[in-house]
Amino acid sequence: MRHVLGDRRAIALLLGPALVVYTLVMLVPVVWSLGYTFFEGNTITGFEPVGLDNFARLAADPAVREALWFTARFAVVLTIVQVVVGYLLALLYVFVLRRASGVVRTLVFFPVVLPTVAVALLFQQLFESAPRTGPVNALLEAVGIGGVDWFASGSTAFWVIIAMETWRSMGFYAVLLYAGLVDIPEETLESARLDGASGPRLVRHIVLPLSLPVLLSSVIFSINGTLKVFDSVLALTNGGPGSQTTPLTLYMYQTSFTYGEYGFGSSIALLLTMLCLVVTLFIFRSSRRDLTKA
Amino acid sequence: MSSTLSQPLAPATAAAPRSRPPARRRRPARAVWRSVWTGALTALVLVVVVYPLVWLVLGSLKTQPEFLNNPTFALPESWTNLDNYVTAVTDGNLGTYARNSVIAVLPSLALTILFGVAAGFALEVMVWKGRATTLLLFLAGIMVPGQMILLPLFTMYFEVGLTGSLWPLIITYTAIGLPLTVFMMATFFRGVPREIFEAATLDGANVLRMFLAVGLPLVRNAIFTVALVQFFFIWNDLLIALTFTNRDELRTIQVGLLNFRGQFGQVDYGPTFAAVCLNVFGTLAIYLFLNQRVMKGLTAGSVKG
Amino acid sequence: MNPAMQRRATMVAASVAALALTVTACSSGNDSSDGGSASSESFEYLSLAENTAVKDTLTALSKDLCRAPQSEAPLEVTTQPQASFDQQLQLLAGQGALPSVFATGNSPEVIKDVHGSGQLVDIDAELEKLGKSDAIIPAARSTIEALYDGEVYVLPTEFNVEGLWYNKALFEENGIDAPTTWDELDAATATLAKAGVTPMAAAGKDGWPLTRLVGNYLYRSLGPDALQKVADGEAKLTDPEYVEAAAQVAALGKAGAFGDSVGSIDYTTAMNQFLTGKAGMYYMGSWALANFNDPSQNTVGAENIGFVPFPAVEGGAGDSTQLAANIGVPLAMSQDRFDDGAKAWLDCMADGFGPQSLTAQGVVTGFAAETDADLPPLTTTVLDQIDAADQTVLWFEALFNPKATTTATSNAQLLVTGRMSPEDFMAAVQADLG
Repeated sequence: MRHVLGDRRAIALLLGPALVVYTLVMLVPVVWSLGYTFFEGNTITGFEPVGLDNFARLAADPAVREALWFTARFAVVLTIVQVVVGYLLALLYVFVLRRASGVVRTLVFFPVVLPTVAVALLFQQLFESAPRTGPVNALLEAVGIGGVDWFASGSTAFWVIIAMETWRSMGFYAVLLYAGLVDIPEETLESARLDGASGPRLVRHIVLPLSLPVLLSSVIFSINGTLKVFDSVLALTNGGPGSQTTPLTLYMYQTSFTYGEYGFGSSIALLLTMLCLVVTLFIFRSSRRDLTKA
Repeated sequence: MSSTLSQPLAPATAAAPRSRPPARRRRPARAVWRSVWTGALTALVLVVVVYPLVWLVLGSLKTQPEFLNNPTFALPESWTNLDNYVTAVTDGNLGTYARNSVIAVLPSLALTILFGVAAGFALEVMVWKGRATTLLLFLAGIMVPGQMILLPLFTMYFEVGLTGSLWPLIITYTAIGLPLTVFMMATFFRGVPREIFEAATLDGANVLRMFLAVGLPLVRNAIFTVALVQFFFIWNDLLIALTFTNRDELRTIQVGLLNFRGQFGQVDYGPTFAAVCLNVFGTLAIYLFLNQRVMKGLTAGSVKG
Repeated sequence: MNPAMQRRATMVAASVAALALTVTACSSGNDSSDGGSASSESFEYLSLAENTAVKDTLTALSKDLCRAPQSEAPLEVTTQPQASFDQQLQLLAGQGALPSVFATGNSPEVIKDVHGSGQLVDIDAELEKLGKSDAIIPAARSTIEALYDGEVYVLPTEFNVEGLWYNKALFEENGIDAPTTWDELDAATATLAKAGVTPMAAAGKDGWPLTRLVGNYLYRSLGPDALQKVADGEAKLTDPEYVEAAAQVAALGKAGAFGDSVGSIDYTTAMNQFLTGKAGMYYMGSWALANFNDPSQNTVGAENIGFVPFPAVEGGAGDSTQLAANIGVPLAMSQDRFDDGAKAWLDCMADGFGPQSLTAQGVVTGFAAETDADLPPLTTTVLDQIDAADQTVLWFEALFNPKATTTATSNAQLLVTGRMSPEDFMAAVQADLG
């Protein structure tokens, strides 16, 4: 039996295509790009070896620090917001709307398929402050808070990006988490109810612990997407004002392809990759541990 | 509002009748209050999601001066002004872009899934030395930012002579989708009791037959989930499509949407929205067609480690 | 089970159909690329996707005046969006695969690098060989030389002058004249702001319309070589006389010159503000004539729009006859692809590009263009200004590297809203100049 499942030809046949494509199109270019971290230049001017200069620059460049800080803040905040909102929606589907949730689920899910360019345009208009007052500011003025020039500073623009990404992805996370909630055995809920648990208490003590595994995989999904955010920021703020909303990906892209410093760009990419690696391995490990317990 | 506590649409058991809960006996006033609250909450969620879409459609019917000079949320002056749609389709080449998107996305989706499922099976069900390391190798691919592989890939495609066709897109999408697919499929196969496969080997099935006849059907819903996730990643890609499409007749929809921008940064809002609407409704049609399956796929095959 | 089977069958059928589509589409894609690069006979033009004027002019020429070169080397147009154009140029140049003729990208720096690697045709020398040295008008030649270290290796498919456009009716209503000095500009700003009109429409979101003001102020206060000195390292942007320019523009912003939320106004919105009479002034290049001459966009009427050069600064070393000018996104030609066909095309473009572009597109180019075609009055005004200009100046970022350019344009809105001090602004840009 063991040798059937250890059949080398079968393994090669099953794993081969994926491994070959993955190696040629991802691994080789990654290693190739890593090689560039010891060089500076671009394809027009040619590459010159610079030793470890790029890494020294990486440590010293204030723009890298700013981008790193933005990326980290963005990933943490957005992951929390979109998973929490998704979870609340999932709870709404399962415990409030119940059978009627189908249509709502479908509608809330739908923004996921909208093109980024379009969503960005939409949110620019929603949060507009001049020459016309957009609906968000109109609402703020109506309740007496007064309008905000959202895109004039990085700290407010940050929240617009968060709002936009949440709007786009909450339906996706809601459905993902809904799946986990639906799988909670009816009997478990029933007995908890007979013990007098209801509402928030039921959620907190029974539902939440049982949906922990699927919550964790949502977090992995989310953190990997948010650490590598590119399109949305490019389309909504283009990293501005100044470089206050520039994530590492955008800084890397600008450095390599606009500034023509491919070596330094590759070093930034390496930093980002390491960041993703550490975070994911961390979550991955804790999630596996949790699962074996569950 | 039914007061049953049963959960909706659990895929395998949705049809099974559920027990009536004791909640039935609660005071009617409370039930009314509850349904008002539910209705309000649902309405709020729907407004937040649907209104921007309505705005998009309204925008597609407006002329440029209307768009710029009337309040953002004014209704269009003419409901039958389809000029923007005509512009989007003729000047905007939307048909070509849509075709390119389909040609680039579907094959890469099929290949990613095929290769990914097979690899996931080999990594999780098969027994061999080094499989944990290989899985980690794939997992590492999830972290790699797409920007990092652009320059080497451009050089490679150029040397091989693939530039000027859609092959660079298809190949790159396939490869970029693999890490997540392999990882997720491995996770799904881990959830399948090993006894099933071991029983199959005892029956004398060879590995490939076992993969096709036993493994695949078990993770059918999971495959659908992964395909869905990958579809949205690939369909909405801008970075790779921008880099590898160097002529107009190769553009995908996402790149094509940039065409409504001018050299100095001017935007033709109407045609842009019209193009977006066509894109959205096209996707919506596919989506509604597949909706039941999508939801079931996500529901049944969610990632549970 | 049955519905599921059906669904699966549909999906299989769909994917088979998709694969079939792929095979045909990809093979046709390959064919066309073979036809393009292998024979190297075609005249391949890589265009900015956003610019259609050059493409249309070349296409029109290929059917008319340039039929001979067209039969020798047929025109083939490929496009790339602005967002990824510089990247594409880098990638192509790195492969030695530049097309016959191509737009030179967003930043002059990129094409200087390409020129440095010896891949470009020396346009000046080739025109001389053809006996057509005067095909490029003097003003455009001076702009090219200022931009590219005194050499001419690009074709000026546009020639734009920049300055202050103003709404005559609004100025009359408020009893002000077109500003000819910076102080008058300050005063006009104050008057218009008091009257509840946005004094100056500016696309702060794009940034460059704001940094243009800083650059122009420098040319007026320190003379036409102000920014060349910075490029040569003889002066720094952090020197007090340079910071003064940023401070003046910031003061203009503080006085409400750009209205509220300048940072969220994009190009289209700013243009519309001016053309619907909501703004009194508009600093812009002459490419905007196409919009000004279009009655569906311009509700104040073309006759209501006046043009003055950027105002002078009292006691400054420069003066307002030195018009700010640019050559849009010029074209360059690849040495590798400069065969007989490409030569014939260059010959023909030298004669035909200017007139064709001016009459059919309304775009003023840097090519000589004698034409008796009826031009809109506003266009004639601009042409007269160009004829009268004996010296042109560039713009703020013209001699910057791409990084400093990005820093300048992306921080501009912070400067005029007072969120960044003039000192910090200039220091940030200077830091990236290296």
